[in-house]
Amino acid sequence: MSDYLLSLDEMKQVDDYLEKGYKIHNVYENLSGMFVEFERQQIVSLPILTADARKYFAAKLLEKTLV
Amino acid sequence: MADLRIDLAGIKSPNPFWLASAPPTNSGYQVQRAFEAGWGGAVWKTLGEPILNVSSRFAAVNFNGQRVAGFNNIELITDRPLEVNLQEIYETKKRFPNHAIIVSLMVEPKQEKWHEIVKKVEAVGVDGLELNFGCPHGMAERGMGAASGQVPDLVEKQTFWVKEVAQTPVIVKLTPNITDITMTAEAAARGGADAISMINTINSLAGVDLDSWNTVPHVGGKGAHGGYCGPAVKPIALNMVAECARNPLFNVPISGIGGISNWQDAAEFILMGATGVQVCTAAMHHGFSIVEDMIDGLNNYLDDKGIASVMDLVGRSVSRYSDWGDLDLNYKVVAEINNDVCINCNKCHIACEDTSHQCIDLYTESGRPMLKVREQDCVGCNLCSIVCPVDGAISMVERKSSIAPMTWNERQSLISNFAK
Ligand SMILES: Cc1cc2nc3c(=O)[nH]c(=O)nc-3n(C[C@H](O)[C@H](O)[C@H](O)COP(=O)(O)O)c2cc1C
Ligand code: SF4
Ligand code: SF4
Repeated sequence: MSDYLLSLDEMKQVDDYLEKGYKIHNVYENLSGMFVEFERQQIVSLPILTADARKYFAAKLLEKTLV
Repeated sequence: MADLRIDLAGIKSPNPFWLASAPPTNSGYQVQRAFEAGWGGAVWKTLGEPILNVSSRFAAVNFNGQRVAGFNNIELITDRPLEVNLQEIYETKKRFPNHAIIVSLMVEPKQEKWHEIVKKVEAVGVDGLELNFGCPHGMAERGMGAASGQVPDLVEKQTFWVKEVAQTPVIVKLTPNITDITMTAEAAARGGADAISMINTINSLAGVDLDSWNTVPHVGGKGAHGGYCGPAVKPIALNMVAECARNPLFNVPISGIGGISNWQDAAEFILMGATGVQVCTAAMHHGFSIVEDMIDGLNNYLDDKGIASVMDLVGRSVSRYSDWGDLDLNYKVVAEINNDVCINCNKCHIACEDTSHQCIDLYTESGRPMLKVREQDCVGCNLCSIVCPVDGAISMVERKSSIAPMTWNERQSLISNFAK
């Protein structure tokens, strides 16, 4: 998959989790990229590996902080 | 007609164009001819204990047909007796009372040596002093020039000694042969400098002759490192000026030097915080008359911009120079190719394909070769527009981002709030 399509896919997953009411439990970064743990009844970890999606997720974090 | 007069820490000159301390300002004959040609000021070739020079001394780096893209020298300070220089400075000042004569000085890092030369030089009537803490060769081995200019404490102490006796404004000329020039700039300010100037030359070896295996230049088969200047060093000098200009701990005027060859270069330095500029290599390459175009060009530019005085241009771009961490990660530009002017050399395609993000597609339309940027994969690196030989064939165009502006610093602090 091209980086572009991969980033669209990662952004969509971020949107999906947030729309379903998941809360951001933990965010960490390592050599592979960014990992976000979403929490509802249980914790799921979403790898965000593309640069564009990592930017997008940060924008979502900002929105969350502002509301 | 804009007002080109400047006032740099109390040193007034009819325009911002000064000759830097170097061969063009070696003698009264030269400086007087330079003033006749239109230069607003001159920093006299560095005075100190007369030295001995070697031959040869200069070398140039030519690049793709451009002669003197860079210039390298192993010349030292003046080789003439102090009295001879002082007599000529006196005569030059008498003939050109409204032009700025600044005298560059370099002595051993001893208080009495600085006091002695400052008093002698000021006695003939000069507009200011420039302390040469920058010469990278020859003098440095003797503890002067760059050797003392690389140690902030020595910069501060020597500036202080000069200020103990100086009656005229003191400019401290900094060496670029240091990791962070703001450290020595701050030291100069602590020592009481009225202004700083930068840059002196950058340590360099111009080349090696592939036939003889001698260095370029060489002195009877042996070489030594020299100092690099000319157009090639401009970006380094401009950054150093800008770093000092935007440093909140630093508040003295700056005289910009390094690769300035025309009015545009000068205007860039002024926008980035220099109150005036100094020129050496361009004058050595083309002669004193280049100042005519510099004056005309700057004047027209100011008129076009509706700016009455060059002093109003000083520092206007400084606030736009920031840290990487404060840049907007979500700002986006993409390349756009105008196939009507493109000559199909394919340089952009090769550059993007081999060394960037593989997003310039080749296709044909009615048998005609065409190129198109796949915007979604373009990272806006500029490379294709840099390598394209045709003006206007590639434009970098802004694309409104769907996500809000955010800097790296903002992002990091946000993420740290969520990190466990
Ligand atoms: C041949 C030569 C001799 C120089 N001698 C001196 C000197 O005596 N004192 C000094 O402060 N700078 C000296 N410089 C440095 C210039 O004043 C100036 O800082 C440097 O060349 C950068 O400006 P440019 O790129 O316009 O040449 C010399 C430069 C050259 C090329
Ligand atoms: S700006 Fe960079 S990534 Fe975009 S097309 Fe040009 S070379 Fe490729
Ligand atoms: S580099 Fe410029 S001229 Fe050459 S193919 Fe690309 S757009 Fe056309």
